[in-house]
Amino acid sequence: MNTLFWLQTGACGGESLAILSADSPSLEQLLSTHDIELLWHPSLSHASMREHDAIFERIVSGNQTLDILCVEGSIVTAPRGTGLYDSYQGRARMDIARELAQHADVVVAMGTCAAFGGVHAATPNPSDCIGLQYNREQPGGLFPPEWRSRRGLPVINVSGCPAHPHAMTQTLAWLTTGLPLQLDGLNRPKAFFNTMVHQGCTRNEYHEYDIEEMAPGGPACLFFNLGCQGPMTQAVCNSDLWNGTSSKTRAGVPCFGCTSPAFPRDIDLFSTEKIGDIPLRLPLGVERARYMAYKNLAHHAAPARVKDKEMDS
Amino acid sequence: MARIDVNINLNRVEGDLEIGLTLEDGVVTEARTIGTLYRGFEQIMVGRTPRDALVITPRVCGICGTAHLYSAVLALEQAWQVPVPANATRIRNLCLIAEGLQNDFRQTFLFFAPDFCNPRYNRQPWFTEALAAFEPFRGAIYLETLATTRRVVEIVAHFGGQWPHSSYMLPGGVTLSADMRRILACRAVLDEVQRWYEQRIVGASLDDWLALDSADAYFGWLEASAHADSGLGLLSRCARSLGLHRLAAGTPHMLSSGSWCDPEHWAFNAEVRLLPGGFYNGDTGQIEAVDQQLINEHVRHSWFRPYQGGRHPWQGETVPDFQPNSDRYTWAKAPRYGDKVVQTGPLAELLIAGDALITSLHAAEGGNAWLRQFARVRRVALELLHARRMLDELALNMHEPHFLDMPKSRELDGEGYGLVMAARGILGHWLRIKNGQVDKYQIVTPTAWSASPRDSAGIPGHWEQSLVGLSVQDPDNPVEIGHIIRSHDPCLVCTVHMLDTGKRVRFAP
Repeated sequence: MNTLFWLQTGACGGESLAILSADSPSLEQLLSTHDIELLWHPSLSHASMREHDAIFERIVSGNQTLDILCVEGSIVTAPRGTGLYDSYQGRARMDIARELAQHADVVVAMGTCAAFGGVHAATPNPSDCIGLQYNREQPGGLFPPEWRSRRGLPVINVSGCPAHPHAMTQTLAWLTTGLPLQLDGLNRPKAFFNTMVHQGCTRNEYHEYDIEEMAPGGPACLFFNLGCQGPMTQAVCNSDLWNGTSSKTRAGVPCFGCTSPAFPRDIDLFSTEKIGDIPLRLPLGVERARYMAYKNLAHHAAPARVKDKEMDS
Repeated sequence: MARIDVNINLNRVEGDLEIGLTLEDGVVTEARTIGTLYRGFEQIMVGRTPRDALVITPRVCGICGTAHLYSAVLALEQAWQVPVPANATRIRNLCLIAEGLQNDFRQTFLFFAPDFCNPRYNRQPWFTEALAAFEPFRGAIYLETLATTRRVVEIVAHFGGQWPHSSYMLPGGVTLSADMRRILACRAVLDEVQRWYEQRIVGASLDDWLALDSADAYFGWLEASAHADSGLGLLSRCARSLGLHRLAAGTPHMLSSGSWCDPEHWAFNAEVRLLPGGFYNGDTGQIEAVDQQLINEHVRHSWFRPYQGGRHPWQGETVPDFQPNSDRYTWAKAPRYGDKVVQTGPLAELLIAGDALITSLHAAEGGNAWLRQFARVRRVALELLHARRMLDELALNMHEPHFLDMPKSRELDGEGYGLVMAARGILGHWLRIKNGQVDKYQIVTPTAWSASPRDSAGIPGHWEQSLVGLSVQDPDNPVEIGHIIRSHDPCLVCTVHMLDTGKRVRFAP
């Protein structure tokens, strides 16, 4: 049996709700067939807070094994580093998170807030939010970069705003097997961050032929003008559809890069910064000159059905 | 982007809540709701491009992000005087309804009903039934709720790409049209949800259930097994046997913005809703038109820089001033309608809209904890009805536009507000744009109304009022408090502690 404690810090509850949309496996299946015992979840646990306090005491006194600690929400450190803008029983949740993490076999940051600071850390960061082991793009958050949990792992960052339901349940299911979990350079489980949001986007034919959308509401590509971060963002949104149904870019909403440490960017989120006609930021790893040449050729090769935006996306 | 340095900023409590209670001989004599989290969303919005509100503000709340998105887009459309096509309003309504259905089922059967499985009740005649239906991760209705709500948010994903947290409503419309595939896929979801609701939750067809129009008729239904054995019937039997229909009225005044913009008649300067809104004056029993100018917020007991009396959101400010050891006790402000403490949510929504059954039950027994919860499940019927209507109209008008592009020159400086009925009640966004950037952004959430602290005159908020007089049998297992607080549909994380001879007890609904 793997014990799991879910802690909410400065959060909107988005991960707690998103995880209810997972179905392969579902949260119910994690509990029934993946040997996870839910010690505590703030919105789902039936027991009283008195029981919550007792569980917490047993964990920190070493009388209760804690296999997996999930943290949802930014680590609020204001005012003046006390963390009291987010408190429980007068105690900073920042300190509660720190104490629980020291007793956990594995610590999982569920969502960009817990991983990197997230939307609450957006300028001017009114409540001085940070992530568990990152401060936006900077390594080191509540814990320094070299910190390791009892299993010898850094904080596992299942980023996203909210985190993808299956990135959450499949990471948890894998952790229960005890098999090694491959992480990327931002300590994210590689399996969920090794594809671009762009990959699998139904607007790809428009992107391929450089047919751009100037205003929202149309079927074409959102990358060139409307701020889409899909070609620079690693996430499974278009390969494992949300709610089994769709993705933001499929629905005509630009990808805002919510799995990235810099989310949300300070600049206008619905427009693309450009040099001349070409976006300032290009698809991951692409050379500007070659990209320009390729797009120029592609644009001229576009078939009329694409140029005239006759194709659904 | 250039930033301006302004001292207007704030945040609203959506997550953590504590309630401080004073008990005398086991009876609550005083209650204080304590918001324990400050995040600063409104401050984050200041200096940003106005449209960014559509990405930032839905993230205030994981369970009602669609409602925030809807409020934000209405506020922008008003500020820029943008027309919105009927199909866009239909799609917005459809998605808001799907989010509402998700909330109403989860709140009722994952958060409220499991309290009837408390060991305290193991000698109640209905205890075995309650366990079989509502026990977390085991009860039949509980598990079916997980499955049904997973399905219903697919409707939002069809138009917004995902639920939670998307940004598909933009000034001038929505990003995606309703084509044949999406209309039929959404209809399939609605059919499935409706069948479950009819068979498992109310034990009647939607038509028969909607036709039910009096308290006496409902009490008759409670005697017949078709309804009595259903999810809502069981919930009502449990709640009423515990006397929840006699408890926790809270403030008699109610506020609703009206539900769902009328696609054909809505405009930034013409607020026409499918279900009418209003202010129900609990003193006179009359329903008056809503005047958003009467909404104001006090900070006398909140951890914000003090100002005199109440201020309308456009004049409001939110400068944190954390004073834990004073008579100020919360991160929540105290919203008032004029000088009135109001409640909002499904009971207010349906009473003001004139639902005959809710009106009759309210007339018979007054406001109470059971009726608040009952109204939430009743609302589902109206949500299903209107969702279907939106789909039918979309099918008939499939080739009408879903988005009207607006020239950048229209993005002028100005003010706007957007009011919608979110799952928990009236939600408002107010913004002011100056030099093309957000100069002020203020959000008044439904939870802010409910979880309000005392105002400048010392008048307690709605939850605070609703708890006074409640008898608590066992402070270590304060299940009575759970029923009351959860009947208000608090946001996800809510912590209550009671002060009883210096001993503190906490629990989370």
